[in-house]
Amino acid sequence: MLRYLTKRLMLLVGIVFVISVGSFYLIHLLPGNPATVILGFGATPEAKAILYKQLGLSKPIYLQYFVWLGNILHGNLGISFISQTTVSSVIRSALPIDGEIIIISQILAFAAAIPTAMRSARKPDGIVDRVLGATSFTLLSIPPYILIVVLVLFISIKLGVSATGPSAYVSFGTDWITNLESLSLPAFTLATGSFVVYYRVLRSDLIATLQEEFITMARSKGLSQRRIMWRHAFRPSSVALLGAASVNIGGLLAAGFIVQYLLQIPGLGYTLILAINSSDFLVVQGIVLTVSVLVVAVNFFFDFIINIVDPRISRE
Amino acid sequence: MSNFSLEDAALMVERPEKSEPLGLFFWICVFWVGLNIFGAIFANVLPLQNPLFGNYNAVNVGPSLHHLFGTDDLGRDILSRVVYGSRVSITVGLGAILIGYGIGAPLGMLAAYRRGRFDAILTTIMYLLLAFPAIIATIAVLSFWTPRSLFKIIVVIGIASVPLVYRVIRTATLSVATKDYVIAAKVQGATDRRILLKELLPNIAPIALSFFLIGVATIIILEGALAFLGLSVNPPTPSWGNMINEARTVLSQNVWLAFFPSLALCLFLIALNFIGDRIRSHFDVTEVKL
Amino acid sequence: MSDDKLLVVKDLTTTFATAGGDLTAVAKVSFDLERNETLGIVGESGSGKTVLSRTIMGLQPRVNTTVTGSSIIDGFEVVGASENDKRTIWGTEVAMVFQDPMTSLNPVMRIGKQIDEALRVRLGMNRKDAKARAIELLELVGIPSPAQRYNAYPGQLSGGMRQRVVIAIALACSPKLLMADEPTTGLDVTIQAQILNLLDELKERLKMSVILVTHDLGVVATRTSRIVVMYAGRIVETGTTRDVFYHHRMPYTRALLESSPKVSNKSHTRLVTIPGRPPNLLDLSPGCSFAPRCKYATGQCHSERPELRPSIEPGHAFACWNPLPVNAEATLP
Ligand SMILES: Nc1ncnc2c1ncn2[C@@H]1O[C@H](COP(=O)(O)OP(=O)(O)OP(=O)(O)O)[C@@H](O)[C@H]1O
Ligand code: SF4
Ligand SMILES: [Mg+2]
Repeated sequence: MLRYLTKRLMLLVGIVFVISVGSFYLIHLLPGNPATVILGFGATPEAKAILYKQLGLSKPIYLQYFVWLGNILHGNLGISFISQTTVSSVIRSALPIDGEIIIISQILAFAAAIPTAMRSARKPDGIVDRVLGATSFTLLSIPPYILIVVLVLFISIKLGVSATGPSAYVSFGTDWITNLESLSLPAFTLATGSFVVYYRVLRSDLIATLQEEFITMARSKGLSQRRIMWRHAFRPSSVALLGAASVNIGGLLAAGFIVQYLLQIPGLGYTLILAINSSDFLVVQGIVLTVSVLVVAVNFFFDFIINIVDPRISRE
Repeated sequence: MSNFSLEDAALMVERPEKSEPLGLFFWICVFWVGLNIFGAIFANVLPLQNPLFGNYNAVNVGPSLHHLFGTDDLGRDILSRVVYGSRVSITVGLGAILIGYGIGAPLGMLAAYRRGRFDAILTTIMYLLLAFPAIIATIAVLSFWTPRSLFKIIVVIGIASVPLVYRVIRTATLSVATKDYVIAAKVQGATDRRILLKELLPNIAPIALSFFLIGVATIIILEGALAFLGLSVNPPTPSWGNMINEARTVLSQNVWLAFFPSLALCLFLIALNFIGDRIRSHFDVTEVKL
Repeated sequence: MSDDKLLVVKDLTTTFATAGGDLTAVAKVSFDLERNETLGIVGESGSGKTVLSRTIMGLQPRVNTTVTGSSIIDGFEVVGASENDKRTIWGTEVAMVFQDPMTSLNPVMRIGKQIDEALRVRLGMNRKDAKARAIELLELVGIPSPAQRYNAYPGQLSGGMRQRVVIAIALACSPKLLMADEPTTGLDVTIQAQILNLLDELKERLKMSVILVTHDLGVVATRTSRIVVMYAGRIVETGTTRDVFYHHRMPYTRALLESSPKVSNKSHTRLVTIPGRPPNLLDLSPGCSFAPRCKYATGQCHSERPELRPSIEPGHAFACWNPLPVNAEATLP
């Protein structure tokens, strides 16, 4: 277990290094002198000096990386030239919104996927399984940006449900009920996408697990179907489910970006798009770096949980 | 589960080699994909109205014989824009996956065939890259690498897909490369080139094709997302993604404007996913986790 | 008449609907079992022993499987009973020791919990009592330092130890009938004898009846009172252990005995090898299923199926058109 974790931790460090180099290099994809592109032509000498210090622009490129990295490690991601606030404060105020949407969507997705997958696996190819299979297949082919448009059209515009449309966002601290209302459509959209993945993965894994000899063994003990499903089949299969959730997190964030953008919810996604459109590149860079590192950290965390659920993995 | 009993082995051997028939719906999907590609290629030859020309006397009209799908807020013909819009989606989808396969597939096959140090190093690199969330990487690179063009979009998505293709092809090849007939061919002194092309390639073709199609579908979804974020081709060039994006501001006045490109996109995706899924189950390849 | 018997099996037939057509893995099997008796079921790999023993207790797969005939365990008709009803006898009346200890334990559940579970669900014990009883059971089946092993995962135990755990689980609710399906096949030789002796000893101590399934006649020679010989899903010979060993009439029984490792050298590891291939159950001839491999086969053997008929000893029966002579005293084992 300890050896396994050390190995994973080393891999984590390697990945974070790759991400940091990638994020650093983004600035150099900009055509021309980064300082000019980032600050525009009319920049004051003071602003330029701050940027040069932040990015180490006067030094050779590999040294620039270390200057930049040193700043990052001190929590200094630079200054947004649009809002003139620090990038880290911009991120700090936006990130919780993404967290909230994702957590709600995942609770919904698991709550829907687990019972339906169990129902399907109990009778593969039965009528319920076929209907669920066809439904999940169709949902798989509906991109989140279409789903959210449809939802907004029917729920916010046609039915007129309050606080669900664009620009309805209110922070949790101000009014938590309206806050939940305003995040309900985004969360539902993300939940649908996750549900399809979780349902399909869990279903096929459960079907395989239910063929196992130890399931027949559990039957022969006289345990109820319910108990066999939850205690004997679900636990080994949940490893596949957690794996899917872990892989899913990147796509989830990206889908969240679009949904936020459409409904003008000031999470990371909306902030990112605004920053891209206004060429606020340090904000873009900061968000890309933060999000990538978060995704990797979440993957690592899931790995750890999978290990606890299935003691076989770390032993192999 | 790694262990299985003699009984299971017996069951496996005795199970007759039977594959599910492809079915009518499969062929309908093939036809649909073919039709879309045909439309994309021959859009300027087909009797369609100019997708960029607005008729200000017929703004936001619903479907009629004159405009089968209606017109948009600038009076442009939606049918024509949907057909032209498929060009962007299909070009990006195919172009990017071809880059992904062009680089990822040979590397994956070689790594699985050679094994050893080559495989170990390459696989570690690919797994490192894989950990970088591809979608976010794509958004990041495209937002910095200006000015944007269709070509850059294809290249960025294509490169981002390389590690995924590599992993799928490597896993598929590994499962074939250890089979008896491949080992027999090796022992008989067949050249590497021959084994790779004659023994391995035909055996991984179904899974490769299946993932290819599902990959195209995934990339088309991604292109749509980029269009929403303003990172894909710029209007007025129509693409399914930017049509839906433009339509959402006038949703309450003209539903058709969002409806038709959405429908076209979803139907095309369903067809691609279904064909990919069927090919996989037809050749009974176990689900490779994508 | 039959209610003093623990188990009465009559015309039991199990058919699987497979992609290649209907496959009858067990066909018209009838036999019975006294209380405190040990019965052996022998036959080559694929002869239907596992399917038969599972069908007897109603544990056959729940999909694509048809069972006809009757199997009455202590007055309870298993065939046609619902899963809910069968659950009332599973564990408490009849329990099974599975063939492969590597796959029959849940790999992600501590072994103690797997024993506890039966005690708590079936016998309504509380957590504490169940744990105490589980440790007792682990001790009973000869697992050293049971209190520590209670918390082990199956992956941390050897094959022999796992099989002991499987036996402990089967014994948890004191069943009257224990089905032991090749309990030693996956284990190495010294462990095999230990496990079999353990089963013998437990049977006496707990007053159970045991059905011992095996493809190795050496295993059943000294441990059973009666033997059922199976081929292609049917009983082809049955009788007391002595009659089957020394007065068998069916050429297949003879072949099985000849190919069986001698009891003396205690090596039960070799798989039974009889010339020719086991029959394809999807494509059986109308005659004797053994005909393609039998050196005594005649035209009748290929066209007409021999039914079980009595030999001279009481309770001894065989299915063969050209049986071996009555006094074919074998020099076997
Ligand atoms: N679920 C099933 N579906 C279809 N066929 C099955 C199924 N289970 C068993 N069979 C078939 O039934 C036949 C009898 O199998 P069974 O497992 O009972 O043999 P066995 O005598 O226990 O052999 P072994 O000594 O290898 O355990 C085999 O041909 C097997 O392929
Ligand atoms: S019936 Fe014929 S084929 Fe079958 S065992 Fe007897 S002699 Fe052999
Ligand atoms: Mg068996």
